[in-house]
Amino acid sequence: MSRFNIVVILLVAVLLGTLFSVFTQNSESVVFARAFSEPGVEFKVSGTLDPDHPVLYDPETAVAETRFHMRDKTGQVHEVLLKEAKPTGLEQSESIDLYGKVEDGRFIATEMLMKCPSKYNEESHSLAEATAAGN
Amino acid sequence: MDITYIGEWTWAASLGRLLIALAFAGGLASTIGYVKSTRSGDPHWLSLGRWGFKVQAAGIFGASAMLYLLIFSHRYEFEYVWKHLNDAMPFGFMLSSFWGGQEGGFLIWMCWILVLALFFLRRNPGRMESPVMAIHGGILTGLSSMLLGLWFGDFQFGLDPFLLMREAPQNAGLPWTLNPNYLQVIPQFADGQGLNPLLQNYWMVIHPPTLFLGFASTLMPFAMAVSGLWLQDHRLWMGRAVSWAFFGVAILGAGILMGGAWAYEALSFGGFWAWDPVENSSLVPWIVLVAGAHLLLINKAKPGTAVTATYLMVALSFLLVVYSTFLTKSGILGDTSVHSFVDSGILPQLLTFLLGCCGLFCTLMLAPGRDRIVFGALQAALAVGIAVIDPALCTLGLLLVMAIAVLRGHLRNLPRTDGESPIWTREFWMFVGGMLMFASAIHITFQTSLPVLNHFLEPFSGWFEWLHQSTGSALARKLATHDLAPGTDFDATYHAIQVPLAFLFICITAFTQFLRYRSDSGKGLFMKLLRSLLTASVLTFLFAYSYDFHAWEAPRIALMFACLWSAAANFDYILQMLKGRYDQAGSSIAHIGFALVIFGAVLSNAKKDIISQNRFGDLAMLNEGLSNEEDLLLLQEDTIAMGPYYVSYRERRQEGHHAKFAVDYFETIPAEYAGGQVVSNEGFLFQCIADHAASPRFTDDLEEHWTFVPIPNERQRNTVRPWSAGRPGPFAFTLEPRIQLNERMGNAPEPDTKRFWNRDLYTHIKWGRVSDPEADEEGWMNGRKHDLMRRDSLVIGRSILALDSVSAVTLEEKPDYGLLDKDLAVAAHFRLTGNGPDTNFTALYIVRDSLLIPDMVALEDRGVKIRIDGFRPAEATFETVVWENLSIRRDFIVMQAIVFPQINLLWLGCLIMTGGALMAVRQRRKTLRRLEKKDTA
Repeated sequence: MSRFNIVVILLVAVLLGTLFSVFTQNSESVVFARAFSEPGVEFKVSGTLDPDHPVLYDPETAVAETRFHMRDKTGQVHEVLLKEAKPTGLEQSESIDLYGKVEDGRFIATEMLMKCPSKYNEESHSLAEATAAGN
Repeated sequence: MDITYIGEWTWAASLGRLLIALAFAGGLASTIGYVKSTRSGDPHWLSLGRWGFKVQAAGIFGASAMLYLLIFSHRYEFEYVWKHLNDAMPFGFMLSSFWGGQEGGFLIWMCWILVLALFFLRRNPGRMESPVMAIHGGILTGLSSMLLGLWFGDFQFGLDPFLLMREAPQNAGLPWTLNPNYLQVIPQFADGQGLNPLLQNYWMVIHPPTLFLGFASTLMPFAMAVSGLWLQDHRLWMGRAVSWAFFGVAILGAGILMGGAWAYEALSFGGFWAWDPVENSSLVPWIVLVAGAHLLLINKAKPGTAVTATYLMVALSFLLVVYSTFLTKSGILGDTSVHSFVDSGILPQLLTFLLGCCGLFCTLMLAPGRDRIVFGALQAALAVGIAVIDPALCTLGLLLVMAIAVLRGHLRNLPRTDGESPIWTREFWMFVGGMLMFASAIHITFQTSLPVLNHFLEPFSGWFEWLHQSTGSALARKLATHDLAPGTDFDATYHAIQVPLAFLFICITAFTQFLRYRSDSGKGLFMKLLRSLLTASVLTFLFAYSYDFHAWEAPRIALMFACLWSAAANFDYILQMLKGRYDQAGSSIAHIGFALVIFGAVLSNAKKDIISQNRFGDLAMLNEGLSNEEDLLLLQEDTIAMGPYYVSYRERRQEGHHAKFAVDYFETIPAEYAGGQVVSNEGFLFQCIADHAASPRFTDDLEEHWTFVPIPNERQRNTVRPWSAGRPGPFAFTLEPRIQLNERMGNAPEPDTKRFWNRDLYTHIKWGRVSDPEADEEGWMNGRKHDLMRRDSLVIGRSILALDSVSAVTLEEKPDYGLLDKDLAVAAHFRLTGNGPDTNFTALYIVRDSLLIPDMVALEDRGVKIRIDGFRPAEATFETVVWENLSIRRDFIVMQAIVFPQINLLWLGCLIMTGGALMAVRQRRKTLRRLEKKDTA
């Protein structure tokens, strides 16, 4: 058994340990129903902005509070309170990941990730529509 | 029926496609020729390979030139040009529109590969030529197939960079595509969509080509490694590959950090590194390449050491580049990235390419003959299985087979370490360091690839569910839902593992150079390291003290110590051991640079200070609701304290596609407080102990200068003033954070940064108006509802509207107000102060015959209108609507300001590291040439 092999074996052992801990640590991704059934527990909920409700942001009364409605993967719509200034491009977002928990019957998100239309791959629908209309 | 389109460069589309097809065909010929030549040594095959390569190179360079021709001639009939260019873009951004899309990305990647291959061919490659060029031919053929743009029914084979708009799938069948005049008739073709404004940054001119050169430079070591396996010669290639590998280390490292610089300057995610999948997927190949390059060095000094690991690292750095291309271009990452990528429709092709490269390498790890055939066939069968049976299961199976192949190759085929190395040798610690870096790379890849892993977990969902049911394991339930995502807390997700690993391998870079190859040289090592250890300890103490580190930050302090030690020890090595032979110092210099990069990253991130949280003066007194941890609301022309400055939002103006918000910064003249003086801070009263000048923060002074007054007496209550840090002094500088007006993706904030030698002040707009709010013709904006009680006040423009008192309107007063006797009325007495004389006025809440009579009070000259819509007697609260006129409106922004200390060390470190690595490459080339001369002589 050479020393080099011992190093490799040690590393593999350490890595397996860390990978296991990665699995146990990651925030769990759920739908609203689950988050509301376990209030006070941190969850990640993904969904899309519900266009039927307005996005409310009034920096003059609260700089870091944005309210909007999100539709989760099962179609449930809930009001969400995001403890951040309204992120630019929220209305254009294609999907939203919220990290937060349910408190007093409301989902309060401390962090949000958005997927916006791609920077790199634009579908040129605009031209197709415009030119179709022009003819 | 053929239509001749007027004014369209139809010939350019045909020529471009012809060039790509030529490159593809040339690549095939080159691959076949070189493969046959490697196996038989027949010069005819060799010349087929060479000619094929020339054709391929001509095709790719030609296609690239063609695309540039189209860009510079503004040919908007081409989809690629239309998408990524418009007339407003200056020359620099015209250059970068070339790599605005995936097609251009592939082209520039191939161009760099060709350039490097040409260098390789010029340098008398000898026996290596055929196998290395065969690999190049295969890889380039695979890459150029991504640009073929062929359609087999609904199946897309490659993206066509020369696609005409009228041929694009979304336009198929539209009537205008049959109009020969369409370019003249349809106005949209006069100008393009333009490169996404986010990419219109000077870093985008230089960052992508550098990164692609870095990506390309991982291919040469890979091709050499594969050749080594092919020829079953494990020594020749390793000597050759060293300088290529370190060239890749230098360029790829610089390219990654340029991306960081772009993110820092143009994107507002508050830093230069966000552990984003796209960033990670270029970082990981670099880490593995560094590990591989060092293993190559070991093999140069002591041939036959850790051969399998060397092959693996060198090959993986290239395979990870391909994997990252797959991750970022296939759309598989979904919504885990701030960079988002849409499925471009070539996922199957990318996957085939990736698996092909991996499979080739793994198969060649085995001994020639039966092993290779069996495992090759097994892999091919599983690859077919991915397409037709079950993608997840078959991919898992394929990965398993590949792992077994590598292991079997290690045990049966490759030479194993012959002589034992003593512990205190250079090669042993270099190996340990390399393995630690590899571990760090695996951890990052694993976190980044969680979305991919979910696909593999899916078929086992039922099994995990059963496990969860029977054992109640939360882990099993998580795996059953197969929706893992990397956490958002970087400390838990990345730093908890990466910091200890980095600590270890940076410590190794500090002392390993002092060891010798092959012989036990641990004696006296400690004495050689003493100077640098002492220097590093003192410096660490100074930094930890002056930046106020706490005990719980011990891991960070340890990492900072490791960086300082590494920098000091490598510097000392140049003085002590090299004694001024600077041409040998490349590697030490590169280590110093790397240590500085990590040091700057750790310190600037750990001690980044969000100074926009402090709120003093007017604003906080006026509105309690403004208190907030990270964001600052700035009313136009207000001057308020922020960290060590006073700031004032002066104006908004539009320049091009940016709305710029000019914010002036003023020095603070600290307030002087005398002993006995009483101040209030956040609702508590404090008495001053002794005369002093205020610090920017109350908490900094609290312990030394103030005593808490729990129960204030009469005198204290009467003399209390709110605490403030001081008053604005002389003008210091102006920063102009911007909001980019981006119609396609929504407006995006862009930061503006003031650089000092030892820190950056980084500010960006969190919220701001890019145009005036809606108002009617007379300038009245939409009314806002407020519930007001007695003593409540509102800020309106520069005035304050206060509800002083409430009274019921008595019978005697009614005629004065023009009311009938039967009316019920409550009067609200308002006072408007500031920005003009104090004005008192009364608004009424009138009920007549149980109907509400609206009573609008307008103070037109002060720009305020108010109406009472309701009254809740129990709470004595008026429901009011207040209108504000544009003429008195004050614009405002919500801004965030962060101080990053010592961030310049990071950029300096990047320059030093790249320079050092290039020096080492040059030195290595020199020695090689000297050796070659000796050989021939």
